[in-house]
Amino acid sequence: MNPFASRTQGNDWVWPVSAMCLILGLMISMAWVTQENRQSRRGFLSADQQTRITEGEVDLEAFQELTASVAKLREEKTKYEQALASQSGDSKVLNESLQEAKAFAALTEVEGPGILITLSDSAKAGGTVSDAAVAGDVIIHDTDVLRVVNELFASGAEAIAVNGHRVSPRTAFRCVGTTILVNDVKIASPVRIFSVGDADTLYGAMMMPGGILAEIRDSDPAMVQIEKLKVVRVPAYSGTTNLKFGKVPAIAK
Amino acid sequence: MIFVPLVALLLGILIAVATGLASIQGLQGQYVAVACLAGLDSVCGGIRSGLEGKFRKDIFFTGFVSNIVIAFFLAWLGQRIYIDLFLAVALVLTTRIYTNLSLIRRFAVTNYLDRQARRAKGVGETTPEPGA
Repeated sequence: MNPFASRTQGNDWVWPVSAMCLILGLMISMAWVTQENRQSRRGFLSADQQTRITEGEVDLEAFQELTASVAKLREEKTKYEQALASQSGDSKVLNESLQEAKAFAALTEVEGPGILITLSDSAKAGGTVSDAAVAGDVIIHDTDVLRVVNELFASGAEAIAVNGHRVSPRTAFRCVGTTILVNDVKIASPVRIFSVGDADTLYGAMMMPGGILAEIRDSDPAMVQIEKLKVVRVPAYSGTTNLKFGKVPAIAK
Repeated sequence: MIFVPLVALLLGILIAVATGLASIQGLQGQYVAVACLAGLDSVCGGIRSGLEGKFRKDIFFTGFVSNIVIAFFLAWLGQRIYIDLFLAVALVLTTRIYTNLSLIRRFAVTNYLDRQARRAKGVGETTPEPGA
């Protein structure tokens, strides 16, 4: 005999339960998360989490398109400036100083001897977040990149690009979750830092004992690779150059 | 008989889809979600007690309402005092749903095996199958 049906079995439960099921079905449909109302549920997350979601939502295609068009327009501008300069001596001088300023401001491509530093996460780094938290030094952080770039400039680098993003006066390095933001673009290990300058000097400075790279090497020597290169070509900065708030003060006469 | 509530559930969803009942926006959506869990728990409990022959309408209806109200209250309280009571409510309700569903399954399997055994003993000798 079925011990679970020891008493007489009526079916009077079916209709009340079914009625409730009907209501339940309606409720489930109302609670269903759709594409449209997913955004509105965000209010439930903490402010910190919300920021991370917003930062994650980058329209990559549009971004790449815009970056490409900025690069193209800047190149055209240089061409026009040079065309203008070929007409007279005065404008030629003007253009030279303009191009110099642009090269300094990272608005043109730069080519020359230099070195390539590759920073990669150690193979020792565990797969889980908690492992990484315990052994924090086996992954490349934003501060590592920042300090390497700083060190490069200190030892005379003239132009630096990090994973193809030119370091400009406006460049910031920032940690976002497991990635690093450079010029507001996410990059991750391996981080390839190209720098233009005297290759020997840069190489020597990077090998300095007690320097930032030595620190990283302490965790795992495989995390750092340095190469001297005959020709390094770093791209132009493709971010905004607009000044919204600052302006150049008028020159006193 | 156990299929009637399931059909009703689908019917409810169909009605909602057909009438274009909008999904709830924002935080209220979370409350409805918790209410759904509470409702699911009540319904499973109802089916179980029905199968066990202990079903009582009054207890079922009050349980349905009070479950939802308690879930609402806890969720709201969690928001106020900044503890994720949503999770606590979801955990408890899900545990109960599991228990109820396992009891329903146990009942169904026992019932089925019982019938098989009876049929094997002697055909037509005992009481005829219900509905046969």
